[in-house]
Amino acid sequence: MDSEDPQERPDDISTIINGLERYNPEAVVGLEDYLRHQCENRYTDCNANRTLLKLYQLNPDRIKDEVITNILVKALTCFPSPQFTLALHLIPPSILAPNSRAELPEAIAKLRELNNQLQGAQYARFWATLDSDDLYADLTTDIEGFEDLIRLRIATLVSHAYREVDLSVLEQWLDLEGAAAQKFITETAGWKLDEGASVVKVPRNPENEAKKSEVREDVNVDMFSRVVRRAWEEIA
Amino acid sequence: MSALRNGSAPLRAVDDDSDVEEEALVADYKEQVQYEDGMEELEQVNSLTMAQQTDDIQSRLVAAAQPLDFSAPLEVKFQSYDSYCNLFHFILNSDGPVDLEPPSHYWAWDVIDEFIYQFNSFSSYRLRLARQARDNEEERQILRDNPNTWGCYSVLNVLYSLIQRSQITEQLAAMKRNEDPAAVAGEYGSKTLYRMLGYFSIIGLLRVHCLLGDFSLALKTLDDIELNKKAMFARVMAAHFTTYYYVGFSYMMMHRYADAIRMFSHILVYVSRTKNFQKNAQYDSITKKNDQMYALIAICVAFHPTRLDDTIHTALREKYGDQLLKLQRGGPDSLPIFEELFKAACPKFISPVPPDFDNPEANVDPIDHHLSIFMDEVKTNMWSPTVKSYLRLYTTMDLKKLAGFLEVQPEELRAWLLVNKQRTKQLRWTDQGLLDGEWVNVSDLDYAMQGDLIHISEAKVGRKLVDWYLRNLSRTYN
Repeated sequence: MDSEDPQERPDDISTIINGLERYNPEAVVGLEDYLRHQCENRYTDCNANRTLLKLYQLNPDRIKDEVITNILVKALTCFPSPQFTLALHLIPPSILAPNSRAELPEAIAKLRELNNQLQGAQYARFWATLDSDDLYADLTTDIEGFEDLIRLRIATLVSHAYREVDLSVLEQWLDLEGAAAQKFITETAGWKLDEGASVVKVPRNPENEAKKSEVREDVNVDMFSRVVRRAWEEIA
Repeated sequence: MSALRNGSAPLRAVDDDSDVEEEALVADYKEQVQYEDGMEELEQVNSLTMAQQTDDIQSRLVAAAQPLDFSAPLEVKFQSYDSYCNLFHFILNSDGPVDLEPPSHYWAWDVIDEFIYQFNSFSSYRLRLARQARDNEEERQILRDNPNTWGCYSVLNVLYSLIQRSQITEQLAAMKRNEDPAAVAGEYGSKTLYRMLGYFSIIGLLRVHCLLGDFSLALKTLDDIELNKKAMFARVMAAHFTTYYYVGFSYMMMHRYADAIRMFSHILVYVSRTKNFQKNAQYDSITKKNDQMYALIAICVAFHPTRLDDTIHTALREKYGDQLLKLQRGGPDSLPIFEELFKAACPKFISPVPPDFDNPEANVDPIDHHLSIFMDEVKTNMWSPTVKSYLRLYTTMDLKKLAGFLEVQPEELRAWLLVNKQRTKQLRWTDQGLLDGEWVNVSDLDYAMQGDLIHISEAKVGRKLVDWYLRNLSRTYN
């Protein structure tokens, strides 16, 4: 799963996160640059981004709308982990209320809907929603490879639950068709298509085995040592 | 005997959740209650001599730990803030460490607890006034003119300064390595007053971060503190209790339900075992939090069905039996119950910045904010109980057939199955920092899909008899 602290994190950002610098309003500059770097280079440091949101929470005059939405879009790509939710908790409720800041509340509400669809594994609906409004394109434009990142997450989660999946179902979930779908399935995911090219075979992994198991209690002498000692002490 | 009994190595290595551990805790608490009885007499003597000496600073120390009347007027709340600032300024910024002994071993906890409590209730009060535009214009004006009183930055500043001054982080790290904390304590940290204030400030930070909705930072704050009976906070009942409530709550908000249940269970078992010799007023305040934690356990169990400790299971059924049944059934009917329990049991969340007095409607209650986010997670998972109850009946099942039983579209059911499958994997604490853990399968039900064919396997859990046997055996001994 996603590690909390990516290896790309530079030392000066670690210093901010782990020390009192995290409360210095000036630290937002470095954290915003770092977010930009994450957006351009397809990795996410949710911990650092939460530090930035925390600074916004404490210093609302510093808030930049597009930074907040970029953080949320980045967190979207980490589903089904609670990163999006954790970020949302840090956003001041007053700026979520409609009418306070023309566009931000609407943008956040829209991203929240996307997150609920991803969390709820309604992938086909997610792609349809993403297509339904130009605002989504604006919101995700800064995030390099947003759609690819989402597809990769979906593929990973599918591989945890499926041994075989109908191509037609998978195409809807990935929002890919024909040659593009085949390319993703065989090259990116490394899965196989059967002869009729209608069923995708997912290699075995510990998650999609669903092995039968029996949990039995391990009993050893040590567990009774107290009772035994007590019995002995009472006699003595 | 001091609250900070560091360095005393445990006589036997014990498992955190074991019976031995509990008994040691209970014995420890008995001792503490008896000790407090002794303290009261001591305090009476003290207050006599103090009156004679008119020892100003000692009485200020005592006053700082006294609860402020809930209905105290705004003016008193401002004064209280000033006296905390003066006291902490004196402690932190005098020329070298001040030479003071804390009035009691739980004094430091009481001060930090009261300080945060007043900050919390002040913030809530200020927001309430800002939301009601009609009356109290006078008080609203005072609050508008003094945005920094009980400000979030100053509260955080106090807590962090106490932690830094006392070198408590370094001391705890040394203790973890089984080294002498005195070697790294420095001239401040070697004094009981600083060490205790520093220590409880860490717990204070856990609480403040949680109140502000920063749940991962809240848990991160406790990195240096080991949650076990050797922990210093375990020596002060209220601190022990508070710590577990906030840690458990933070876990719940991070969707780590198994860990949350473990935390709540631990402290609730402890409380139920100590209540027979609880006699002071402290226990009344604990009763309310106690019920709140049962409500939170009910929520977590709905997300993550598991076997609870017998004592807790019985108490839970007594207190929230009807609600628990509805939660466990899931579906839209369970949503109002989730809301009701969450609202009753969550901390009184606050906003770190002053409200907007000119736009009453722009001030959203932070509780509603956090609740609505939490409800998103509830809605995502609300079909899992249904799915699981059906899957348990089969070893293989056709998806379309099951969708027919449930009267939903196959696509909908595929989503439910994926959601439920994802949530059976949870990060579970082992023995590292509270934020770390291992990814484990927390459910006894597992399945995998082959096209539309669902293969289901259920882990058979044999009855655990050893614990039951030992408990009953020890009962017959007593």
